[in-house]
Amino acid sequence: MKSFNSTAVLQELQADVRQLVLGVSYLQKEDPELLELIPAPGKWSVAQVLEHLNSYGRYYLPAIEKSLRANKPRKEQFTPGWFGNYFTRIMKPGKDGKVHNKMSSPKDHRPSASPDVKPVVDEFMDQQHRLLSLLEQSKQKNIGAIRTPISISRFIKLKLGDTFRFLVAHEQRHFVQITNAIREIQRTTGKFQSAPLAIQHSPVF
Amino acid sequence: MEPLEQLHNFISAIHWLNESEWEVFSGIWQSFECKRKTVLTVAGETEKHLYFVLEGLQRAFYIGDDHEAATIVFTYPSSFSGVADSFLTQTKSRYFLETLTASKFLRTTYRQLEELMNGYPSIQKMVLKLTALALKGVLERQIELQCFSAEEKFRALLKRSPHVLQIIPHKYLASYLGIDPATFSKLLGSVRI
Repeated sequence: MKSFNSTAVLQELQADVRQLVLGVSYLQKEDPELLELIPAPGKWSVAQVLEHLNSYGRYYLPAIEKSLRANKPRKEQFTPGWFGNYFTRIMKPGKDGKVHNKMSSPKDHRPSASPDVKPVVDEFMDQQHRLLSLLEQSKQKNIGAIRTPISISRFIKLKLGDTFRFLVAHEQRHFVQITNAIREIQRTTGKFQSAPLAIQHSPVF
Repeated sequence: MEPLEQLHNFISAIHWLNESEWEVFSGIWQSFECKRKTVLTVAGETEKHLYFVLEGLQRAFYIGDDHEAATIVFTYPSSFSGVADSFLTQTKSRYFLETLTASKFLRTTYRQLEELMNGYPSIQKMVLKLTALALKGVLERQIELQCFSAEEKFRALLKRSPHVLQIIPHKYLASYLGIDPATFSKLLGSVRI
């Protein structure tokens, strides 16, 4: 398995998270209706997507915080684990910025029917800032030795570096969904024509 | 030119550091580079870094209520970059900082700089001078934005930095000058230096 400079990985992940924060900062200024509308039957609204991401953050951020208490000082190189790499690879949007493999969400991460836009967006932003902080703190830690259990099974523990990679890849995947949802809403309603769209992606790291 | 040499030249024009002061000062900088459209700082984050630009173009901007981003400042070689007020006060930034082109920097952290400022009065004095110069620039700009006509602002920019038209996208320049894009295009066509 290819290994990476651990600080560089965390730096890149921070840059990825900042892209998402910037994207949502623009969305925050739009008419909330844009985030409430269902783009097509059976598909999630932007608010629902963010709520889904929040549900992951609610589990992972405290778990990561807890794992950072371990006294394992940083190592220069980080080698991803097999599982971690696999989860990240299947989550991450492709180099063309599109998602080519369909997946359905686990039951306890399905968002409610019509969540309140403002608290959802506020929570998302709050979580991203916490994530930025945790990534920063992790620069002093051994992200290959510290492990966190995944949400669907406490018996499967990913290396911390992989947990971060997976989490961010998952968010990026859903931002592709957000971009598509906005495009669809613009097309069908003719409204929100000046809404911001592109969120850029870094290559798989 | 070597990066540290570039920094030394820039600093020397503003404040004299003796040999040992320069030695400790040059010791706190690390190389950093990133591709275009990298967001270095987001609003809500506390600016941790002070950057010295070696290559590339960056801009700081504010996202207002009408979701149009307002460009506040451009940074390019050789100038310092980073969200200055957030950095100096170590409070949350209200602005975003992004690279407009692939960029190379020297950068340091607040903690490292603070340690030097505490240990070396001359370095603290230098930081004060740099801050004062930044403040001077901001006030000059405030006057321009408040009192100048669109054409006067345009001419002032071209006089100060004639190369900007080639390297900065016009929509960001228009925003920076507080001119609407249509007026900016008109001025491009009519104003000759």
